[in-house]
Amino acid sequence: MTDRFARMAALFALYTSLSTPAYAYLDPATGSIILQAIVGVVGTWMVYSRLFVAKSRNFLSRVFGKSSASQDAE
Amino acid sequence: MTAPIVNPGSFRDPGSRVFERDGRILRAIWQRSAPAYEQFRDSGLLADLVDRGMLVATKEVDAQSVSIMPAPVYVLEHERLPFVSYPYEWPFALLKRAALFHLDLQLAALDKGFTLSDATAYNVQFIATTPIFIDHLSFRPYVEGEVWAGHRQFCMQFLNPLVLWSKKGISPAPWYRGSLEGISPEDLSQLLGWKDNLSWTILTHVSGQAALQRRAIKADASIAPGKQPKLSKTAFRGILEGLRSYIAKLSSPTKATVWGDYADHNSYAADDALIKRDFIVKMAGQVKPDQLFDIGCNSGDYSVAALEGGAKTVVGFDFDYGALDAATARADKHKLPFLPLWLDAANPSPSQGWAQAERLGFGKRASAQALVALAFVHHIAIGRNVPLDMTIDWLMSLAPEGIIEFPPKSDPMVQRLLSNREDIFPDYTEENFIAAVLSRGQIVEQKHVTEGGRLLIWYRR
Repeated sequence: MTDRFARMAALFALYTSLSTPAYAYLDPATGSIILQAIVGVVGTWMVYSRLFVAKSRNFLSRVFGKSSASQDAE
Repeated sequence: MTAPIVNPGSFRDPGSRVFERDGRILRAIWQRSAPAYEQFRDSGLLADLVDRGMLVATKEVDAQSVSIMPAPVYVLEHERLPFVSYPYEWPFALLKRAALFHLDLQLAALDKGFTLSDATAYNVQFIATTPIFIDHLSFRPYVEGEVWAGHRQFCMQFLNPLVLWSKKGISPAPWYRGSLEGISPEDLSQLLGWKDNLSWTILTHVSGQAALQRRAIKADASIAPGKQPKLSKTAFRGILEGLRSYIAKLSSPTKATVWGDYADHNSYAADDALIKRDFIVKMAGQVKPDQLFDIGCNSGDYSVAALEGGAKTVVGFDFDYGALDAATARADKHKLPFLPLWLDAANPSPSQGWAQAERLGFGKRASAQALVALAFVHHIAIGRNVPLDMTIDWLMSLAPEGIIEFPPKSDPMVQRLLSNREDIFPDYTEENFIAAVLSRGQIVEQKHVTEGGRLLIWYRR
């Protein structure tokens, strides 16, 4: 669910940046660099949110004594 | 001893160039690139990648012993590859494999604190169907927070051609061959619909990148040096792994990935195939070529025969991507020293790129000692209107010795080619075929597969 939300947010950010084609010559990596920054933030956020979910589950299972829950943290 | 000749495709890196001398592949490294090379070597990553078969084996040779000017700091000698191929010649399975390989290499480098300075597909080559990296100077120390320098190039040379092929069923080869840098996200995004953009990878790396790039061009915005956004190592890894998992799931549009499907669908009777096979085994056993070309290799039946006969390696060429997928699967399954590549024999890869020498044409790379061309001549001499003697001339120019099959006009496969057109090929006869071979060489042996049917000629120039 968190993944989907993050992706939808990024989708929105990308689509609002759509514009008409232009064919001038410019440093060809500009789009790539900005994209990496966006995708990188989303990616990192997802990695940490997964970790957070996994840790929370572990914590809850320890508190409530359900050991099996820690196995399906994904 | 001849003077070292610089490789015409090696000029982009000002700190290093590749030379060829007496068949040896040498790489000169000058001061500018020496520290990065030293770090790469001393970290153990170079030796580790060579051990894992991911990087071409190399050794340092005495820099003074080769007359390269200005004098390099280091000279490396690389193992010579059996055959150099280009991404627009790879079947789907090999382009996909090269893409995954590049990502694996980047991930392996990152683990050891290195990154690749670019992501050009031309730095990946194949030994049989196994990819190997050839540019030792692409590795440089990774700087925490730096963006992936090769991202756009990776998209243009690996991801986008694969998306076009897998999702739209269009081979990228003609486009790729015309545009050596690959297919830009701005171009590819024009062909994609909203359904394609439901994929996170396509949405971001193709459509998103294209939109951002257009926007940057429109706003005349570029990123000032030192103002680049930071990309954490975790995020970098995340991007690489995300692309890896997406590409790993892409499938070939031909769907024929099992060579058995193909072997069952040809029009040749088993007895005929056996006669052809034995003839090839005999020739390959006598010539013992280091490299044999199988022109019109289909799924590789006769490539296998040549290998069994004694050919060390076979490069097979075909026009049919389904056949090439099947041939690749077969080479993988049986671990054959066999590389299947795409070739339109009536229009082979040209010499092109900078000074028309950066990427060599098919003919300039052809260095086989032997050749087999079965079920091929009619496709060119009738299917493509190339006169029979010119067809034979071209084939015999590819290797000094080999076997060419001549299917007569009465053959069902030839009849099929003639079924919807006027027969304007009065010169397509067995007599003219033999005469064409004899005008360029001698006939070592000849054999009719069936009485009055297909003729096999073993020629020697």
